[in-house]
Amino acid sequence: MTLTVEQLAQTIDHTELKPEAKQSKIKQLCEEALSYNFAAVCINPVHIEYAAQLLKGSAVKVCSVIGFPLGATLSEVKAMETREVVTRGAQEVDMVINVGALRDENYDLVRSDIEAVVAASGDDLVKVILETGLLTDDQKKKACLLSKEAGADFVKTSTGFGPMGATPYDVKLMRETVGDSMGVKAAGGIRTFKEALRLIDAGANRLGTSSGIGIIEDYRWAQYSESWMQPDKPCWTCPSRMANIAKQPKEVYLWYKQRCLMCPNKDHNVFTE
Amino acid sequence: MSDASTQLYSEAELLFISLTDRTITRKPLPPGLYKEYLGGRGLGVKLLYDNLAPGIDPLSPDNWLVFAVGPSTATSVPTGGRFVVITKSPATGTIFDSNAGGYFGAQLRRAGLAAVIFTGASKSPVYLWINDNQVEIRDASKVWGKTTDITTDLLIKETDEKAQVACIGPAGENMINLAAIVTDKHRAAGRGGVGAVMGSKNLKAVVVRGTKTPGVAQPEKLREAVERARLLIKKNPVTDKSLPVYGTPVLVSVINEAGMLPTRNFQEGRFNDADGVSGEKLLERFSLKPYNCFGCPIGCGRMSRVRGKDMGGPEFESIWALGPQCGINNLEWIALANDKCNLLGIDTISVGSTLGCAMELVQRGKLEHSLRFGDTTGVLEMIEDIAYARGLGAELGKGSKVFATNHGAPELAMQVKGLEIPAYDPRGVQGHALGYATSNRGGCHLRSYMIGPEIMGSPVLVDRDITEGKTDLVILFQNLSAAMDCMVVCRFTNFAWTVDDYAAMVSAGTGLKIDGKELLRIGARIWNLEKLFNIREGFGKSDDTLPPRFSTPLTEGGSRNRVAQIDVMLPEYYSRRGWDKEGRPTGKLLKSLNIPIER
Repeated sequence: MTLTVEQLAQTIDHTELKPEAKQSKIKQLCEEALSYNFAAVCINPVHIEYAAQLLKGSAVKVCSVIGFPLGATLSEVKAMETREVVTRGAQEVDMVINVGALRDENYDLVRSDIEAVVAASGDDLVKVILETGLLTDDQKKKACLLSKEAGADFVKTSTGFGPMGATPYDVKLMRETVGDSMGVKAAGGIRTFKEALRLIDAGANRLGTSSGIGIIEDYRWAQYSESWMQPDKPCWTCPSRMANIAKQPKEVYLWYKQRCLMCPNKDHNVFTE
Repeated sequence: MSDASTQLYSEAELLFISLTDRTITRKPLPPGLYKEYLGGRGLGVKLLYDNLAPGIDPLSPDNWLVFAVGPSTATSVPTGGRFVVITKSPATGTIFDSNAGGYFGAQLRRAGLAAVIFTGASKSPVYLWINDNQVEIRDASKVWGKTTDITTDLLIKETDEKAQVACIGPAGENMINLAAIVTDKHRAAGRGGVGAVMGSKNLKAVVVRGTKTPGVAQPEKLREAVERARLLIKKNPVTDKSLPVYGTPVLVSVINEAGMLPTRNFQEGRFNDADGVSGEKLLERFSLKPYNCFGCPIGCGRMSRVRGKDMGGPEFESIWALGPQCGINNLEWIALANDKCNLLGIDTISVGSTLGCAMELVQRGKLEHSLRFGDTTGVLEMIEDIAYARGLGAELGKGSKVFATNHGAPELAMQVKGLEIPAYDPRGVQGHALGYATSNRGGCHLRSYMIGPEIMGSPVLVDRDITEGKTDLVILFQNLSAAMDCMVVCRFTNFAWTVDDYAAMVSAGTGLKIDGKELLRIGARIWNLEKLFNIREGFGKSDDTLPPRFSTPLTEGGSRNRVAQIDVMLPEYYSRRGWDKEGRPTGKLLKSLNIPIER
């Protein structure tokens, strides 16, 4: 992959979603986003107005999360939250899907939930967070299709607060499902340029990460060796290995583990640590 | 350009001290040498390569002892306060450099010096007092025999309260192979017996007070590069959080978790009591405050209070060597033993490793002694015996290779080229293992700190078990480390900075056109010259190896069922280095690096 440092920076949503973030942190985030020419800053609604002031007139977009991080609030609340952040200067919104409704196969509710946010967002970009770690592959695909039907612009893997982060496997699945007409944002646990490049290679065109500066700076190492990108053990990046019964519904956890039994790389699934 | 009140590094001088006839000579830094080797380690290696006859006894007056700083020293470049000691090692017989933090290096540079080169030997104990341009060789009989803390205090009292001292303790005076040079009472150029070389010259200390302002070629460019470098340190979780909070001992838990914390002389890779000697426990029980070396925004050093006494450390490697390596789980005792080593001027890594070796010899019935794994009884006394070369201590003071060989079990010495391997079992990290085997100064973790990518995921995580791609990364880190030691800056910056950042700072500081690739070329030049020095001393392919223990898998822990695959990686390493199959740099390579070929 031949991606310049600048091109890599343009894929990144510079993210700060911790509840304890102070205004000074948001100021720093915006300054860094301007300095590195990141695609956007991704922040909680309470900081939108301040960030919009700081980034006014720049190419860096202001992105707010909606219904975050659980997605389990009312569609009306998500819509109102969207209207409010748009009024305050948000140019993109990352909403969390109604995960429970999706698992209930209540697809009308899932679709209308997204439609409500899309309608409230005006011209803003809408990204739909699936929280892939709570879903099986069929559910991920269905969520992608519902997002597309509802008029969203992107599907996004994870909140970063859920049971697992972005994996190349999920990104590939999502890209194959939505095609080229939608964006795919990978988010959650992306800390190194190696992870970033693998997710882009799998089909992501936007990355949500709080390690944006480290990723960009460390990417300069890439010019000095090709060995950074040596293939890892296949299981390292597989969501099945990250499955965790304490954090996932039992049937989802078992679904992931069942995949291991049928995996063509199962011979590699031997770890001594 | 510098103004009249400042002095560029290129204008700094070499101070030659002939201890035999007590002459002092100043020479300008040769421009060619400076441009091709920068300073610090590179400067020292070049001086030794050009001036030492092959085969000299490292403890004879024929050996040289170089204290060097670099173009980043005492400038705004973060961590630019270190100094490097370069000599032929009595422990390994190789070229050797050992560096230390503290504040001594900055003073040396502020005295207008790039290096102090000691030749010959004094008939009686002396110390060197550098007070800006005034240089005196002074009588050291009052401090001979004294520990490093007392020596430091007395010499500061005798010279200037703002002076900095680098000195040896009794271990150096007795020329034991494990002797260190200590500055600020607890920062040590610890490895390779550099303190013994100092002792062999009857040189107790170097005391320096400098008041000049080092200049830089492009101040504005350097300001920008430094601002950026400081930001990167602030943004990196290792340099901004782990190291400042826990110091290097944060690694105890990390390395133990990976099953690579050498236990009972590398017989095991997991120490059951690691929690009790961890960085977290040190913070809870003994930490007084962090210690920052000159110009360092990280502050990985620790000051501890143990049984009412304030002391430096202990650092990760020292905790390991005096703890798990000897099966000892008493952190309070480890801190006291570490302090004793600092006062006596002994390398904690090598002394702990050699004690562990002795304990295994006892375990296997090859040595009759009361030393036992896990038992602290008599160990502090044994450390003293080592420093004063008394009884069994005199034997241990020669290092594990000689000691184990003398007791009929050379395979029990965990060393490469005579230098004890530090706190990472190479079976769990293939790249790091190759780094140990090919290190020009013997078993060293810092020539190519592959623990970064292989364990800590810095800059990215690479599979620690595979050999593919590792030669490439080991060479990259070896060359970069050599360049860093020329600047001279701390290894820990490597978590936050890339090659380009170092190059930007050295380029702005010197005015030389040095980008990342050129900086690595300088590093490669130094690495190859060191290799040539060692070849001249008789080292060959058979020395680029690990002890046989590492060909047998560990049976438990996170690195079980693995062996170090040096044989797989070494041919590719030589090939990528541009060396022949015996590990000798080819003429073509030397020509490309502008290293004169000896006929």
